[in-house]
Amino acid sequence: MSPPIVVADRITKRFAGHTAVDALSLSVPPGVIYGLLGPNGAGKSTTIRMILNIYAPDSGTVRLFGEEGTGRDHSARIGYLPEERGLYPKMRVLDVLLFLAELKGMDRRAARTKALDWLARMGLSDWRLRKVNELSKGMQQKVQFISTIIHEPDLLVMDEAFSGLDPVNSQVLKDTILELRARGKTILFSTHIMEQAEKVCDYVCIIARGKKLVDGTLADIKRTHGGKHLLVNFDGARGDADRIFADRRQVAKADVSGQFAELELASQGDAQELLKALVTSGARLSRFELAEPSLNKIFIDLVGPEAANPVARPDAEVARA
Amino acid sequence: MRKVLAVIRREFIERVRQKWFWAMVVLGPLFFGALFILPGMLIGKTGVKRIAVVDGTSSTFGAHLTERLDAESLFIAVRVAAGPGAIDSSRIDSLRNAVDRKELDGFLIVGDGAVDSGKVMYRASNVSSPVTIGTLEHVVSEVVNATRLEREGVNPALVAKARIHVILDSKKISGGKETGESAGQSFALAYFMGIILYMSILLYGINVMSSVLEEKTTKIVEVLISSLRPFQLLLGKVLGVGAVSIFQFLIWGVSTRLILSQRQHLPGGGVSDAGGLFQMPHVTASTAVVFGLYFLGGFLLYSAMFAAVGAMSSNEQEARQAQQPVVMLLVASFISMFAMLNDPGSTLSVTLSMIPFSAPIAMPVRWAAGNLPIAEVALSLGILAVSILGVTWIAARIYRVGILMTGKRPNIKELVRWVRAA
Repeated sequence: MSPPIVVADRITKRFAGHTAVDALSLSVPPGVIYGLLGPNGAGKSTTIRMILNIYAPDSGTVRLFGEEGTGRDHSARIGYLPEERGLYPKMRVLDVLLFLAELKGMDRRAARTKALDWLARMGLSDWRLRKVNELSKGMQQKVQFISTIIHEPDLLVMDEAFSGLDPVNSQVLKDTILELRARGKTILFSTHIMEQAEKVCDYVCIIARGKKLVDGTLADIKRTHGGKHLLVNFDGARGDADRIFADRRQVAKADVSGQFAELELASQGDAQELLKALVTSGARLSRFELAEPSLNKIFIDLVGPEAANPVARPDAEVARA
Repeated sequence: MRKVLAVIRREFIERVRQKWFWAMVVLGPLFFGALFILPGMLIGKTGVKRIAVVDGTSSTFGAHLTERLDAESLFIAVRVAAGPGAIDSSRIDSLRNAVDRKELDGFLIVGDGAVDSGKVMYRASNVSSPVTIGTLEHVVSEVVNATRLEREGVNPALVAKARIHVILDSKKISGGKETGESAGQSFALAYFMGIILYMSILLYGINVMSSVLEEKTTKIVEVLISSLRPFQLLLGKVLGVGAVSIFQFLIWGVSTRLILSQRQHLPGGGVSDAGGLFQMPHVTASTAVVFGLYFLGGFLLYSAMFAAVGAMSSNEQEARQAQQPVVMLLVASFISMFAMLNDPGSTLSVTLSMIPFSAPIAMPVRWAAGNLPIAEVALSLGILAVSILGVTWIAARIYRVGILMTGKRPNIKELVRWVRAA
């Protein structure tokens, strides 16, 4: 089996007085879509910056493509879309693309052909000689995205990939990500929006306060954290539902809203027993489903409500580049 | 290296494409020309002054003075006889009113005492014009002296015959030879080089700063830094902007040559007539080399500092504040140029031309104003080169941390920590 594309081994980054990332390890296999999930301030951006060697880790190592060298040494094989997007506002669209492609080590002529292809594909051909600041925000996002993938990177790294995108571009991005994966490329992206991660990720790594909570394939994580999740819809009669749901030997947690209930079974609980009890008590059911929990639910269960408030950022961050 | 070239290329092309660059190319020489020619023109063309000579003498002194003043092209003089003794104050009041109504530009009051004490009163709406006052002083003292000599029994014709107008023919000595460069030309060249060095270093240094700031505020810097090292980016930026400045000097240099070679065909026969004091200096190859070396040195030194300023600021206002210490350093060097023009050999001038921050302006000015030993220039260049390395090293460290920083501007303590962070 080919080596992982990214291996981070206990990487740690401290800023003045606070630890942004704490001994985090992760491994991204080739050809997958890997989601780095966490609430705001969890250390996602810092992790990504360390992987790309924009920051040097205080301790720990990063290995890319199973080879020696930093992210900058491999930059020709990496496309990076940072959280904060931006282009040179006064440069012509085509010139920006050529310049950024050159920094990735591309030959100007090859870059030109590629850039024109991509501009045509995104419907921006007529804008190629316009200045960036004459474009709408959505068009600028497209140009930025082209600049990220113009050199056909083997690894695409996107920080808060979908933030700030309009629905059209969001769809374009998703389609392109899936297409890249189909061509064997590896995509690593961070997000705090679980619904998006759930739709496209093969692998996820959930972090909070700089520490890893869980990682693995999305299916494994759902299996480990699921199987105890029950969705119930009543069809008029509820029978003795309230009493049955209150039985802590069977039900750990119940979220009842009128004709609908979302239950979490207790560790000793048995769905079949519960179903029998409900029917016997006279309840009429239109749905009784043992469901996988949503990633969002797993995330909130793991992270807890307090993790959404990271420790106060210090005034100054001292980073090593 | 290819990535550095890409950065250089971008900086160069984008700048040369901008309108302001061409505006500078065209307007720069006009501006400098105006700087040289205008003061002379403005001082020279004061217009004819109508003055009254209030004659309170009992001799022919007042009449004689009026005659002499009227003979000067600068004045139209009218004698107002007041009779010997104290002058009536109502008469002075009416003259004051005449000045106020602009019927008169001013009036002189002479009494019998003028020849003895040399004191003459002049009242006018404007007493600051050096040409008017100078001519007035000259004429009055001549008439006073002539009268005094006459009183001592010297024949005025003999005095006129014995007098001679002195012309000081000054030539600069360089390398043991006369250069054919007059004092006026030396001064003009030094003045010109000082101004051009100051303006260019400031202009292109600030260019580097805004380029750093632009990448920071548009956030594109993070993408760049994922592809090349901060030092490579800084290097490419400084060299790119530097190339623009050299390109501009080339355009100016070539077009000046062309214009000078066509001088005979130009109306007016050339620039040297204008201004008198400011004559077209002739620039030797060695002067051009000294100018070039110090411009590059000064640009590298100051642009490194300006880059650090850009990196530590998050917006234009912050940068404008943070750039003050650097700009002040440059302005101080520029102002000290005038002390240098006065005496290029003084201890102050020598010191300033050794200090790396003032040397880029001070040394070329000293070079143009007076002849210098090569060893002194070499020492100053050596100090400058070492300082460029040191300052760039510090600036690059501030730059490296600063470009990815947001939030409040760092204080000195934090800056020191940035520099130390290995």
